[in-house]
Amino acid sequence: MSGAGGGSALAFAWRGLRRGWRSGELVVLSLALIVAGAATVAVGMFSARVQQAVERGAGDAIGADAVIEAHDPLADSLTAGIHALGLRTVAVVEFASVVAPVAGEQVQLSSIKAVAPGFPLRGTVKIADQPYGQPRVAGGVPAPGETWIDAHLWTALNLAPGALLQLGGTTLKVTAAIVDEPGRGGAFAEMAPELMMNAADLPASQLLTAGSRAQYLLEVGGEPAAIAAAQRLPLPTGTRMRTPQDSRPEIQQSLKRAHQFLDIAALATLLLAASAVALSARLHSLRMRNEVAVLKCLGASRGFVLRGLVLQQLLLGLAAGGAGAGAGALGQAVLGHLVAPLLNTALPPAPWTPVPLALGLVVLLLAGFALPALAEAASTPPVQVFQRGVRGSHLGRMGLAATLAATAALAVWQAGSAQLAAYVLAGAAGTAALLAGLGWLLVLALAPLRRGGVAWRFGLGNIARRRGVAVGQVVALGIALLALLLVTVVRSDLLASWQGRLPPRTPNEFLIGIQPDQVGPLEKFFAAHGYQNLDLWPMVRARLAALNGKPVTADSFPDPETRRWINREFNLTWTQDFGDDNQLIAGRWWGAAGQGQPWLSVDQYAVDHLKLRIGDTLTLEIAGKQTTLQVYNTRKVRWDSFRPNFFLAVPPGVLEDSGAVQWITSFYLPPAQRSLLRELVRQFPNVTALDLDAALAQVRSIVDRIVAALELLFGATLAAGVVVMLAVIEGSRADRARETALLRALGASSRVILQGLLAEYAALGLLAGGVAAIAAQALAWVLAVRVFEIPYGPRPVLWLAGAASGCLLVTAIGWLSLRGVLRTPPRQVLASA
Amino acid sequence: MTAATDSARLAGAAPLKAAVSAGSATRGRDGEMVWAEGVVKRINIRSGAGGDDKSAAESVLAILDGLSLNVDAGETVAIVGTSGSGKTTLLSLLAGLDLPTEGEIRLAGTSLNQLDEDGRARLRAGRVGFVFQSFQLLSGLTALENVMLPAELAGQADARERARATLERVGVGGRMGHYPHQLSGGEQQRVAIARAYAAQPRLLFADEPTGNLDLATGARIADLLFELNRGNGTTLVLVTHDMNLARRCGRVLTLTGGRLHAA
Repeated sequence: MSGAGGGSALAFAWRGLRRGWRSGELVVLSLALIVAGAATVAVGMFSARVQQAVERGAGDAIGADAVIEAHDPLADSLTAGIHALGLRTVAVVEFASVVAPVAGEQVQLSSIKAVAPGFPLRGTVKIADQPYGQPRVAGGVPAPGETWIDAHLWTALNLAPGALLQLGGTTLKVTAAIVDEPGRGGAFAEMAPELMMNAADLPASQLLTAGSRAQYLLEVGGEPAAIAAAQRLPLPTGTRMRTPQDSRPEIQQSLKRAHQFLDIAALATLLLAASAVALSARLHSLRMRNEVAVLKCLGASRGFVLRGLVLQQLLLGLAAGGAGAGAGALGQAVLGHLVAPLLNTALPPAPWTPVPLALGLVVLLLAGFALPALAEAASTPPVQVFQRGVRGSHLGRMGLAATLAATAALAVWQAGSAQLAAYVLAGAAGTAALLAGLGWLLVLALAPLRRGGVAWRFGLGNIARRRGVAVGQVVALGIALLALLLVTVVRSDLLASWQGRLPPRTPNEFLIGIQPDQVGPLEKFFAAHGYQNLDLWPMVRARLAALNGKPVTADSFPDPETRRWINREFNLTWTQDFGDDNQLIAGRWWGAAGQGQPWLSVDQYAVDHLKLRIGDTLTLEIAGKQTTLQVYNTRKVRWDSFRPNFFLAVPPGVLEDSGAVQWITSFYLPPAQRSLLRELVRQFPNVTALDLDAALAQVRSIVDRIVAALELLFGATLAAGVVVMLAVIEGSRADRARETALLRALGASSRVILQGLLAEYAALGLLAGGVAAIAAQALAWVLAVRVFEIPYGPRPVLWLAGAASGCLLVTAIGWLSLRGVLRTPPRQVLASA
Repeated sequence: MTAATDSARLAGAAPLKAAVSAGSATRGRDGEMVWAEGVVKRINIRSGAGGDDKSAAESVLAILDGLSLNVDAGETVAIVGTSGSGKTTLLSLLAGLDLPTEGEIRLAGTSLNQLDEDGRARLRAGRVGFVFQSFQLLSGLTALENVMLPAELAGQADARERARATLERVGVGGRMGHYPHQLSGGEQQRVAIARAYAAQPRLLFADEPTGNLDLATGARIADLLFELNRGNGTTLVLVTHDMNLARRCGRVLTLTGGRLHAA
């Protein structure tokens, strides 16, 4: 064994691998690596697919995967360039025009939308025979000579079905009322009564002449990669391209939260797999020691042994990681097939990037969690050949550092955000400490319970006598159970709380364009119909003119998103108090002291994009007049509350007389009371009602899609938890076999031995499960309040359920994996030295 | 020593056969503690370089070959033999830890052949004690808890008191709360002997009880073993290759060729 050569180290590694596999020592380690690989690949692939599906769903909201907007007809070359990328397009022209019934005197300024066949590329247009009637999906676009108009225009013109409308030089027959169409629900304030017509009728209307103010839209649909390529195409000045990501903050926020759920579940799985790797590697390392000592006696160097062990782990890691990646890819494919019908969409194909990532992760797991223990084994002194038995190992400083570094890397890698990683890790560390403390107390408390049958006494005695080992087992099992509970808690409680953010009576109707003198009558109208305390907000539109006294335009900002945002007008409100969907980030609320002060409260989005600090000044142009305001506080708006909210707000007494004030409100309208809208629009013809049911349903469907992904992860986490328990139990197998043989020799029946084992594992499971349930509650509370910003209360039933399920699970796994050991023949006691 | 007369009671002796046929199938005559007749133990051996070697072949090795033995209550019998002669195999068969391939064994008058694993365990509980070469103390249990174990398994209510008293008797009363790894080899074997006697078994099997100890400690442990044996009137079957130890027994039998012979 002079063997310093890599070849013989490889042979040594290979032999060790085969032997370890046959003896079962490396089986648990392999299982842990397989689970880690499978979880990474499954999560990576499936969440990428769901994200794409969700983005496509968001595309439904604007009717396309991207929209190109221009003030002039788009050049054919641009359209051709987009077609060349394999994308589909449909042209839409929007402009304002006066509409009048052929038979009648009313006229109404309306937003005209001329659409070509194929509109919309994503989502559907919903129409009804008359306003607020039974909605149905429109099969296409209005036929030439026909038109669909929204309820607002219908009511304003007091039409009957089949009425004829004069639009410029042409006459159109009203055949349906528009209930919902992609693109509604975005910028509320820009909504005017709408008329949709076939683009073929445009020339006859003679409304579009050179210099007329129209917006030419090209809706684009296709694969994400092609959309991304289209975004890089050079656009003429005055032309811009927007995607669903540019708008819809409520969907963005839901998506972000959804990914946090996935990340936490995946991280829990990986931490579990890591502990299983650490446990089984330590066991393997302990068993390797005598062999290492003998090898060294025969002349092997520490380097040779270490190289052999590292090679062995690398081979194992690649094999197990590859198997896991395959299992994960297969699992997510099966799940994709199962959930695609539920998601109401075909899932895009899975990307393959998670596979090399998973292999890298498995190597990281081995380096951080298995290598330290193996390095300890490699440094076993040769003199140990003269010492009987195996000594316990203590992780050296380097090993501990490697493990900690790997844990941190793992957490940040998987959680994506350092904050989330820190919470989960702090939770895990705190939990381990809590579990150890509680476990110790409970183990002590068990001692007086050692009464009754010999089996019970012996089983509990095993725990009470081996206090240190038992506490270690409670911690390991507790962490496994904690992860299981956390995932179930996340699945039910947190998801319910999250969905609870959109409670049943979430506002589903917005009223916009309310004139100041209509506020009183409107409140009276609603009070008469049983709606008290209408949530009314004033609104003025402003344009940013200067920042800290320096004039700015869109060109002052390099970031394209900021430029687009600056180009639009901001909506401002005034208020003394903010709703609970606004969270203070910096500064103070102004309360009554703000009255008349030129102060500004700014949402985090504006703070980030304009790089604002408390005390900065913004000069806003409102109805032609400039007003300078000072940033007094910053806040974070929960956009998915579906209540009116504003990027910018000022105290009362500042903007009341700025002119151009409109009011908006949102309220919940039960489906049965939809006729109220007809009455409302008749009394307040200039007020537009926006139906948000579709947008709400969309946010809810995103949540549902993520739940499907969590189901998959739940399986992986469960597997990881079971592997940890197996690793813990595997560690005690040799001792238990010896003990069983001895007990039998001393006259214990197999029933007594089995009952003792069951009593021991039932008690361990009960302790670990109870403690894990309490810890899961605490951790879920921290996550709910600090990360997801949703309310969360204690769930005592969960504690009982945790203890009971821990008891059942641990007992079952203990029995299943050790029932062979219970058959250890008593003669072994004479054979073993 | 009474070696000469003992040899008359060796396996296969005529008077014993008569006693057996007169009694029931499972009950031996009064005073009989261990009885074995025509015991054969064969094992299959896989030979070859490695476990997965295709060239591996199985062969049968007869360790015990028609062995017979009779030990009366209160007797002390030593079984000696070279390494590999089958001493430990015999001990495991006599104690019911394993079953013979052929032949019959009775323990305290009950035939082991007709009992299953659990039945044999029940037979041992409280009746049979063991002292092993490698002590076999449970590492997670203190000295006291180790000694309590057999009495607990036999359902004796005063397990703790008995254990304390026996530990005091073997001279490790001051170390009751210590774990095995905190004890020296000699102390561990004292605890093991205490465990063997605490439940006051009628029969004690000892497998090389001094094999892991130095000469002086071994001698003291042997003194302790025989002293307790005399005090309790326990039947002792001792397996050893130490002739000095063997000669302290009432009878010495040598195991060669799979059978017992008077020394």
